[in-house]
Amino acid sequence: MFVRALSLLSLLAGLSFNSVAVGPAAVEPAREAAPAGGQFAAPFDLADPARIEAGRKRFNKTCAGYCHGFEGVGGRAPDFKGRKDLPVAVMFETITHGRVGADVMPPWGAAFSAEQIWELVAYLRFLGTQS
Amino acid sequence: MKMKKLVVALACAGALSGSVGAASGPGYDDPDNWPQYHRSFNAWRFSPLAQINRDNVARLKVAWIHQPGNITHGIQATPIVVDGVLYYVSANNNVWAVDAASGRTLWRYEPKLDPLSKQTFYAAASRGVTVGRGKVFLGTLDGRFVALDQKTGKEVWSTQLTDLKSQYGALFSAPPQLAGDVLFGGTTGGDQPISGKIHAVNADTGKPAWTFEILRDDPESWPGDSRQRGGGSAWMPGTYDPRTDTIYIGTSNAAPDYFNADRKGDNKWTASLLALDPKTGKLKWARQEIPHDSWDFDSAYEALMVKGADGKDVIVHLNKSGFVFVMDKDDGKLENVWQFAQHVNWVKGIDPKTGRLIDPVYPEEGKRKLFCPNLLGARSWNHGAFNPQTGLWYSHAMEVCNEVVAGRDDPANLTAISSLSLGIDEIKLVPPPADKPHGRLDARDPLTGKVKWSIRYELPPLSSVLTTAGGLVFTGDMEGRIYAYDADDGKELWRFNAGSGLRGGPVSYATGGRQYVVVPTGLGSHAPGFLAGAYPQIKDLPGGAALIAFTVD
Repeated sequence: MFVRALSLLSLLAGLSFNSVAVGPAAVEPAREAAPAGGQFAAPFDLADPARIEAGRKRFNKTCAGYCHGFEGVGGRAPDFKGRKDLPVAVMFETITHGRVGADVMPPWGAAFSAEQIWELVAYLRFLGTQS
Repeated sequence: MKMKKLVVALACAGALSGSVGAASGPGYDDPDNWPQYHRSFNAWRFSPLAQINRDNVARLKVAWIHQPGNITHGIQATPIVVDGVLYYVSANNNVWAVDAASGRTLWRYEPKLDPLSKQTFYAAASRGVTVGRGKVFLGTLDGRFVALDQKTGKEVWSTQLTDLKSQYGALFSAPPQLAGDVLFGGTTGGDQPISGKIHAVNADTGKPAWTFEILRDDPESWPGDSRQRGGGSAWMPGTYDPRTDTIYIGTSNAAPDYFNADRKGDNKWTASLLALDPKTGKLKWARQEIPHDSWDFDSAYEALMVKGADGKDVIVHLNKSGFVFVMDKDDGKLENVWQFAQHVNWVKGIDPKTGRLIDPVYPEEGKRKLFCPNLLGARSWNHGAFNPQTGLWYSHAMEVCNEVVAGRDDPANLTAISSLSLGIDEIKLVPPPADKPHGRLDARDPLTGKVKWSIRYELPPLSSVLTTAGGLVFTGDMEGRIYAYDADDGKELWRFNAGSGLRGGPVSYATGGRQYVVVPTGLGSHAPGFLAGAYPQIKDLPGGAALIAFTVD
C-alpha cells in the first residue's frame, strides 16, 4: 500500500493545472497536487458537512445516473449506503484511476481536481453511515 | 393451426437445409448464412431456416460453446456467419473466426489499441464486425476502421478517423457497414460535447472517402456556437439498400442532454433518420423525429423495412421517445406515428400526419421533473425482429421513468476523455406512475402498433430478438435465461439458463446440413448501470462472456 501511495503521489505531484484549453485532457491522474505533508490523506476534514454536500452534488451530477445509482444504491457496483469497509485511500485511487472487471469504470482523475475527488470520498463516507 | 404446421412441414421438406424455399428476395436470400448485422438490409433479423421449429425446439441442445476469455462488458455482438465460419468480436476489439459447426477457433485478431482508449466512457465493448469483399471489418475503440483478411485474420489496412483527445473519446462501438465498396459508420458521442460525424472509407484500401457532418451548418437550427458541442452521433450500424443505392442511419440525441437553454433551435440532424448517397456522402433526405431533443431520445436504432398497405416498402423506425415512425423509404414522408411505450409523459402525442410534438414538456434548470420513458428509452438499442410469415414485429420494451433536475455542465469538469455532457444536476431512474418498472416482448403489427401478444418481465430484457421460419422467436433476459417462443402466440416452447444475461444478437444459420441457433451471453454495457435506481438487484447479476450454439439432434 505504501509503495502504491507513494507512486500515486509522485504522479499527482508531477501534474500541472489548466492543461486543457480545447477538448479533454489526455492525462489520467488528478490535476492538483497531493495534500501537504506528504501523506496520502484528505486535505480537509472528511466529516465537514460543506464538503459532504459538495461531494453529494458532484456525485449526483456525474456518478449516480450512469452507474452508481441515486445515493449510491444499485447499479453495477456494490452499494455505498451503509458500507463501512472501503478505506478512503482506495476510494480516492479508484475514482482517480478507474477500474476494470466485468464492468468498466473510466478514470475520473482528469475530470476532477484532487480536492473534488476528496469531496466525493467525503460523500461516500457519509453514505456509509446511512442505512 | 394444423394447416399452418402442414405448410411449414411441406416447406421444410422441399428445401436443402430446412429453409422455406418458396420465398425469395430481401430477407429470404442466402438462407444458410447470417451475412450482415441484421442478416438482411431490411433489418428483419429473420432466418428463413425451419429445420428447428415449433415441433422440435423442445429438443434444442448445446452444440458448442466459445469463450473469448475476457468478460468485460460481456458479449454485445451480433455474430456474422458466412459459409460455415462465424465471426464475432469480444472485449477490447478481439475478433474471432470460429468453425460454425464445432466452435473451434480458426483465427484470432487482437489489436494494439491506443492506451487512451482505456480512458473512454464507452470502453471495451463492441457490437460486431462486418464481413465482405474477402475481409472482416472492425470499428475500433481508438477511433479506427480496420480491415482483416477473412481467411487469416491478418490486418490488411487500418485508418485513423477520430481524435480521441479532442473528441472526448469518440470511438466506434458498432461495426461499420458496407455500401458497395464504401465502408461507413459513426461514433459514440451523443452525450459528449462534440459535433457528430459519419465517416466513410474505401473498403478495399481504407482511403477516406467522405465525412458527413451530422449537425447541420445552420444558425437557426444551432444558434450561437452550440453546434460545436451539440452531440448528434450515429452510434449504431446503418443499413444499405442496394436497390436504390441508399444508406439509412439514425442519429443520437443532442448535447447537453437535458440542459437545453444554450442550444435553442431544432438542432438538426440530431434525433433523426438520415438517407445518404454512399458515393458522395450527400444527404438524400432526413427526417428529424425529435426536434430540439431535451430528453436524451436517440433515434439511432434500426430502420426496419416492411411492406406498407399499398405493397410498397416503408421504413418502421422506433426511437427512444416511445414512438414508432412509419415513413416512405424514398423521401421520409410520414405515413404514421404510433405510440410504443405505455408510459409517455414528455409529450401529449405526436401528430401522425406531420410529426409535430403535441405539447412537449421540457426539463427546467433546478426543477425536479418526471419523464417517461427514461434516458435509456422505451427500448434500449437491442434490436427487434420481423417475421414475414406472421407479419409481426417482435421488439422488447422497457417501462421505466426518470426524475431529472436539469443543470448546466460544469465546464471545469468537462475535461476528461470520459466526461459526459448530460446537462443534469440529478437523475434517478424510477418506476412509472401507478405501475411497477418492467420490460416486455411485444408482437405487433409494425404499421399500426396493434398488439398480437405480449410477454411481461420484471427486468427489461436487453437482448436483440431473432425470429425464424420455424415459427419461433428467440431472446433472453438480464438474468441469463434464453427463451424460444411460438411466433404466433408467444407461448414459451423452450428455455435454457446461460448463467449470465444477454446483451448481444442471437442468430441462426446452417452448415453441414444442420441448423444452429447461436446466442451471445454475458451481461455487459452501461444499460444495467443506468437502471440502478429502479432495480437495485441488478448489482448482484454476474458478468460473463460465452457464445453458445444450440442445435437439434
